[in-house]
Amino acid sequence: MTTAALVHVVVSGLATGSIYALMALSLVIVYNATRTLNFAQGEMLMVSTFAGWTVYAHVKLPLVVVMLIAVAAAALLGWLIERVIIRHAIAATHFDLLIITLGLSLVLRAAAGLAWTHDEFPFPSFFGTRPIALGPVRLAPVSLGIVGASLTLMLGLWALFTRTRLGRAMRAVAQNQRAARLVGISVERVYAASWVLASVVGAIAGVLIAPVIFLSSQMGFVTINGFIAAVLGGFGSMPGAVVGGMLLGVIENLAPLYLPSSIKHSVPFLMLIAILLIRPAGVLGRVTRPKV
Amino acid sequence: MRSLTLAMGAAGLLLWPWAAPRYFVFLASLIVVNAIVAIGLNLLSGYTNQLSFGHAGFLAVGAYTAAIVATRAPGAPVVVALLAAALVTALVGLLLGVPCLRLEGLYLAMATLAFGFVVVEAILNLDGLTRGNDGLRVPAARLGPWALATDGARYYLVLVVGAAMVWAALNLVRTRTGRALLAIRESEVAAQASGIHVARYKTLAFVISALYTGVAGGLFAFVVGFLSPDAFDVFLSVDFIAMIILGGLGSVPGSMAGAAVLTVLNDSLAGFQNYRPLVFGAILIASMLFMPGGIASAARRFRAPLAGHPRVAPGSRPGPE
Repeated sequence: MTTAALVHVVVSGLATGSIYALMALSLVIVYNATRTLNFAQGEMLMVSTFAGWTVYAHVKLPLVVVMLIAVAAAALLGWLIERVIIRHAIAATHFDLLIITLGLSLVLRAAAGLAWTHDEFPFPSFFGTRPIALGPVRLAPVSLGIVGASLTLMLGLWALFTRTRLGRAMRAVAQNQRAARLVGISVERVYAASWVLASVVGAIAGVLIAPVIFLSSQMGFVTINGFIAAVLGGFGSMPGAVVGGMLLGVIENLAPLYLPSSIKHSVPFLMLIAILLIRPAGVLGRVTRPKV
Repeated sequence: MRSLTLAMGAAGLLLWPWAAPRYFVFLASLIVVNAIVAIGLNLLSGYTNQLSFGHAGFLAVGAYTAAIVATRAPGAPVVVALLAAALVTALVGLLLGVPCLRLEGLYLAMATLAFGFVVVEAILNLDGLTRGNDGLRVPAARLGPWALATDGARYYLVLVVGAAMVWAALNLVRTRTGRALLAIRESEVAAQASGIHVARYKTLAFVISALYTGVAGGLFAFVVGFLSPDAFDVFLSVDFIAMIILGGLGSVPGSMAGAAVLTVLNDSLAGFQNYRPLVFGAILIASMLFMPGGIASAARRFRAPLAGHPRVAPGSRPGPE
């Protein structure tokens, strides 16, 4: 294995990894606000991407507009779900919320199948197909594009969470809901904002990944790796989500080179089990002890 | 009144193969199998609050163990195959349960989800034993000189085993162990403070739950007659969760009711595969929003005023049986 080929594998691993990171981020955003794992995240991503694609199939708008439409659809979907379903279960336990989002994922996937069939559709890509040569290393433009776009988005999120009032409110709610309410933060608005934001981040990830894995009602399953990435980094930590995503993407791409191909599909799950056994708090997570 | 209802129910179940067409006898066996899994899952999720997304994996372990025993030892009675299924699956449950002690909530959900995927991958890779993707044909269950080759015979096998498992579960939840599991669900800290060995009982819940599911898996193998790994995907685990959510967490009769309703529903939606997840998802959401406690607590609320008991206060979380 030459160094050039190795670099190629690592870069495409980083590309998959940034998608995982975006999905992990959207899961963590919802988790920090409502303390639930959103099982429907992948299906929300899929429905928003389909919404963008439907417009593209009818009117050939530029891709940027398609992405904006997907983002708008995602924002609407996230707001609707939070407002119509999650808000009513505000007193429910995490267990109950988990079940609700599980039901939601089944409903959304079935509804998408009815609306758009369960076939796979090619999705237009922002990026060309001609490899870019950097010395001896040849890189796929789509890998570089995905990494670049994701990093830009992460930078935007970082700015949102550290520089704006809303972002600070969201972090406050994540830390301590009661205290946040006491200092005058509307926790309900943070809930809504979190669901909308997570849905939007998911939609962008969806538009970026759809050209690679095809658009289909089943594409939401890619979020399972987002879960694993979030756990790897430490669930609840946003830098952790990014690190975990990248780590998972690179290891998943490298593993087939060194391991028998038969266990290739199990690599993310084996990593999950390993991290849960060795360090359940994740790479960047803090070990917390429950208080009585 | 109560014993009369029970006796009529028992008579109905016993006479079912004479009254119903062959297919419905098969369906009834499937309901009993699913009810055993639902009870097993409920002992883990409903009683100790450990949500498992991997019970299809346990079912697969039990089913393949029973099928392999029946294939390799052709004369062995069905009891041996079922015992093997129970023991192997309980052992797997122990091996999964001990590391899972460190996990709770969504971490546990993820770990069990991963377990389900790993089991399917293992079945695909151990194709010397399991025949991988080609699927495994299960020989007829044998009981001494008889081969249980008809749907009716298999139904009685499933019914007898199922009745024993239900009886055991109903008694288990009233013993010291059952109370300990419930105490853990309500508060781990309080349970520990009252002298309950939390780790031991949580592991025990895993083992018992796996054992139930393993027995159900063995029965499933004989009822269906053909095993293939794609039958044990994560959606099956989700179906089991839907059964206990609809039936009622922490209720043995509820588990049975949920299993019956969803098995029949699943079967009647067989021609509308695209609508099936839509219906199941809607049931999950609706049960959580409008009927927390499931069928079991709805029935309790319906029955309570008739028997002169006070109504359950609205909004209160229903207690266990």
